[in-house]
Amino acid sequence: MTSESGTTQPESIEFEFDGHRVHAESGQSVAGALHAAGEHIVSRSFKYHRPRGLLCMSGRCPNCICTVDGTPNVRICTQAAKPGMVVKSQNAWPSVKFDLLRIFDKLHRFMPVGFYYKRMYKPRWMWPVWEKFIRRIAGLGTINREHGAEGVYDKQNLFTDVAVIGGGLAGLNAALAAADAGVTVTLIDEQSELGGHLRHDPDLAESIISRNALASGSSASQPDASAFRLISLSDLIRRVSEHPAITVISSAGVFGCYEGNYLGIQQGQRMIRLRAAQVIVATGCWERPLVFENNDLPGVMLASGAQRLLHLDHCQFPGEAVVVTDNAQGYRVANQLKAAGTRITAIVDVRDNPPESADGIRTFRGHTIISANGSRHVSGAVIAPLAGHPKQTLSCRWIVQAVGFTPANSLLYQNGCKLRYDESVDQAVVIQHVPSMYSAGAVNALHDPRDAALDGQHAGLAAAESLRSPRLCGETEPSIAEATQRRGERKEDSVPSCHYVSPSGAKKKFVCLCEDVTEKDICDAIDEGYSNIETLKRYSTVSMGPCQGKMCQSASIAICARHNGQSIAETGVTTARPPEQPLPLGVLAGRALHFSLVRRTPMNAWHEKAGAKMGDAGNWKRPQVYSSVDQEYEAVRQRAGVIDVSTLGKIELRGADVVKFLEFIYPNRFANLKVGRVRYGVICDDAGILLDDGTIARLGDDRFFLTTTTGNADAIDSWFRWWLAGRPEWDVRMTNVSGSYAAMNLAGPRSREVLKKLTDADLSSDVMPYLAASECQIAGVSAIVLRIGFVGELGYEIHVPSQFGLHVWEAILEAGREFSISPFGLEAQRVLRLEKKHLLPGIDTDALSNPLEADLPWIVKLDKDDFIGKESLARAQQRGDRNKLVGFRLSEFVVPDLASLVLCDGKLGGRITSCGYSPAVGGTIGLAWVPANLARNGETIQIQVNGRMIPAVVQDEPFYDPSGSKLKS
Amino acid sequence: MSFQIDCPNCGCRPVWEYHYGGTPRQRPDGSATERQWAEYLYNRPNIAGEQTEWWYHRSACKLWFLVRRDTRTNQVLETKRFASATE
Repeated sequence: MTSESGTTQPESIEFEFDGHRVHAESGQSVAGALHAAGEHIVSRSFKYHRPRGLLCMSGRCPNCICTVDGTPNVRICTQAAKPGMVVKSQNAWPSVKFDLLRIFDKLHRFMPVGFYYKRMYKPRWMWPVWEKFIRRIAGLGTINREHGAEGVYDKQNLFTDVAVIGGGLAGLNAALAAADAGVTVTLIDEQSELGGHLRHDPDLAESIISRNALASGSSASQPDASAFRLISLSDLIRRVSEHPAITVISSAGVFGCYEGNYLGIQQGQRMIRLRAAQVIVATGCWERPLVFENNDLPGVMLASGAQRLLHLDHCQFPGEAVVVTDNAQGYRVANQLKAAGTRITAIVDVRDNPPESADGIRTFRGHTIISANGSRHVSGAVIAPLAGHPKQTLSCRWIVQAVGFTPANSLLYQNGCKLRYDESVDQAVVIQHVPSMYSAGAVNALHDPRDAALDGQHAGLAAAESLRSPRLCGETEPSIAEATQRRGERKEDSVPSCHYVSPSGAKKKFVCLCEDVTEKDICDAIDEGYSNIETLKRYSTVSMGPCQGKMCQSASIAICARHNGQSIAETGVTTARPPEQPLPLGVLAGRALHFSLVRRTPMNAWHEKAGAKMGDAGNWKRPQVYSSVDQEYEAVRQRAGVIDVSTLGKIELRGADVVKFLEFIYPNRFANLKVGRVRYGVICDDAGILLDDGTIARLGDDRFFLTTTTGNADAIDSWFRWWLAGRPEWDVRMTNVSGSYAAMNLAGPRSREVLKKLTDADLSSDVMPYLAASECQIAGVSAIVLRIGFVGELGYEIHVPSQFGLHVWEAILEAGREFSISPFGLEAQRVLRLEKKHLLPGIDTDALSNPLEADLPWIVKLDKDDFIGKESLARAQQRGDRNKLVGFRLSEFVVPDLASLVLCDGKLGGRITSCGYSPAVGGTIGLAWVPANLARNGETIQIQVNGRMIPAVVQDEPFYDPSGSKLKS
Repeated sequence: MSFQIDCPNCGCRPVWEYHYGGTPRQRPDGSATERQWAEYLYNRPNIAGEQTEWWYHRSACKLWFLVRRDTRTNQVLETKRFASATE
């Protein structure tokens, strides 16, 4: 919007919060706009329904979680306000301002720590009532089932030399140093703009420039630093943004760092998977709250939260404020608030002799805060010396706490870096990195801007350097040594701040804001025996809420240590696991369309044009049926049909030892397979389990052409290669030609007449009998023709180079027109093969089926030399069959579901694996696994169909053409 | 599992391009006892530490090769072709 004077005014935005209209400036966060509008209660707490207001303003604490435009659990402090947005508070009834469920706050005596383990399970019959009640009142936002997500959830894969996590001073310097050293860099930052915490701490940002001037003036004292140059923040951001080798991913959180430096990143509705050769963790710190009475009241804020509201959302803090601190940041924030018009009642400094002072502000040294007064908002602060007495009350509307930091080191823990708590800096520091991982800046306890910048530059250079000469595991990285040295130099001005738990009091002192866990709850849990930090976490649920310990980790460990009489280092930390921050499931589940493989045969377009119903077969698309299964069936049985079998696995083997290899792989015999013949075979593993079946054609002395089933094509390829890998001395050369050949099966009594029109080859039964294999020209194309009959008719399986697949397919259909040929799909083929009792591996067999029991005993030649599965099959034969795969005819006119049960004497005996209506039989037929004693021709078995037992008769012979005369005609 | 394996043919690729093939084991010959066969067929070592194992580059060059890996950290320490392993 442009005003009359021509200058650009911030655009005014209107959105809705719990039915009220709220105005926001362009670029302001929802939370900032609510603060400016005086809406200080933005949520209700999880258990006690206490009012909660803004605290961290950085998307970490749970206090500002709302439902935005139907999406639950959105942190409104990092959500920019947009016109027309509908924001609703959660976890309150009837409203966030007046929540009747606040009654739980008074009933806390009945809800001690772990109360759900102790209450509500007796009497048992009450549980369903309790469950209903708990489900209604517990939990966070509700998913709106009608409301779908706007747009799509998506995935992206990226690669980089160096990934820098965190766009603060250390991260920016690391990125620039690495990129200047000649590697590609990806910088991931959670904020919308680079700069880290300096964005909202302008005084600190200024100090960099002044220190820079100072450092360049006295560079002699730090000779090793002369290689580095400190530049102002705006220059730094500009150089990083403009650097051609640096990619910046903003408003994005790294939720996991997985093996091999594989980063999971959430950016809005997109999941980015970034593979980095080197990772620099420059995630900095987050501020920790103090534990005192009523420390959850609206009006109690973190210093950085107040600074964000002041400088990023341009808000004010009307009234008076008390600043509680133990470091320089408290003095900076007090001055900034004062400059913005807030009256600072006092600075309460826990240190006795702080180096800082504030002009014109009353300062209580050696004091801490005991309690916040007020019921819906802060109205005062009770402070006292560290000993606890005497107390005095200061009037204020805001309590701003600046009491130190918790390092954001969970990505380092996740990837296996070793950290140890260092008392001198009051935070855990890295003592050993994993290879190809570095840390820099505040996460290394280097809080001074100059130190952080140099640490970042060091890490950036080290990462770039190790891309040239990879370091071995366990070697200490220079960056650790550097950081340790620099921390040592700063030791005198760092203050151990273990004061974040105030002396005990009667009112609630919250440690975990997500789950409403108080200091008393933690102490009670420890008294009940959950003294280990891990069991304490699980029992009390401290750190298990939406913030995942970001607000409560320091305090819960400190309280646990104090109550156990241990040190913080002895107490340890809970295991860090991904996701580092809560993640919408949509981000994980989002579409990956571009990454899924779809395979289509050369004839696919023809099938689609012919109106075939296509179905999935592994990655392949295959025609299920063209017009009608009955018509397709009839064409094959009466005249001729053709099916696209290009999806079969096809392997060509050449070499002097191929016969030896086949004899070893298959239970069949191959030494006696003549050139020009094809044989059916099955493949077993060493346990004798049937893996797959297919045909093996001998096209020359040392040349074989094999087919596998569609689904097992890759597995058999791998299986062959595995056995060959251990036998490099065998002369077997293997080529997977699955994709190189299109294949079609021409079948039916007239199929010879059809094919005759397309070839000069002699197709007569004398020259080309059943199970012959030949190479000839079909429709002008070199083809491998196998006379086999999966569907039980005279038939030819024709393999041609895939680029001619469509040509030959169309030629066959054209040649067959006078015989009323029809293409047929998988559904017709299933019936046709079932009538011949031909099994499908993986459908009619499973991981317990051997060929002896699967009705293929004639295949297994136990008198052969060693072959895969021989020992197991020999033992199975000795033992005798336990179950057998048999054909059956059902006595009634129903088609049972697959896997329907076969019952013997009322007990489970087996199951059916295939069944369907057989036109040849005029009834339902199928294949079933039954106990061996029932596997006799004519035996009656009972099949359970819809709860009824229906008798069926076992049949040894195929249901169609038992003598095979049609097949061999 | 998101670690990378250095294929002797193709170089460094993510683990999901590969297929695990177990540790190399001696297949018993015909004279082995039933117990030896059962051991071979059904029992697998489960080492927490370094082991040599077969991997197959199924999504690319289809090579079976040997990888020395630390099962605790999934750190790949060495990859080599089988033929060179016997040298």
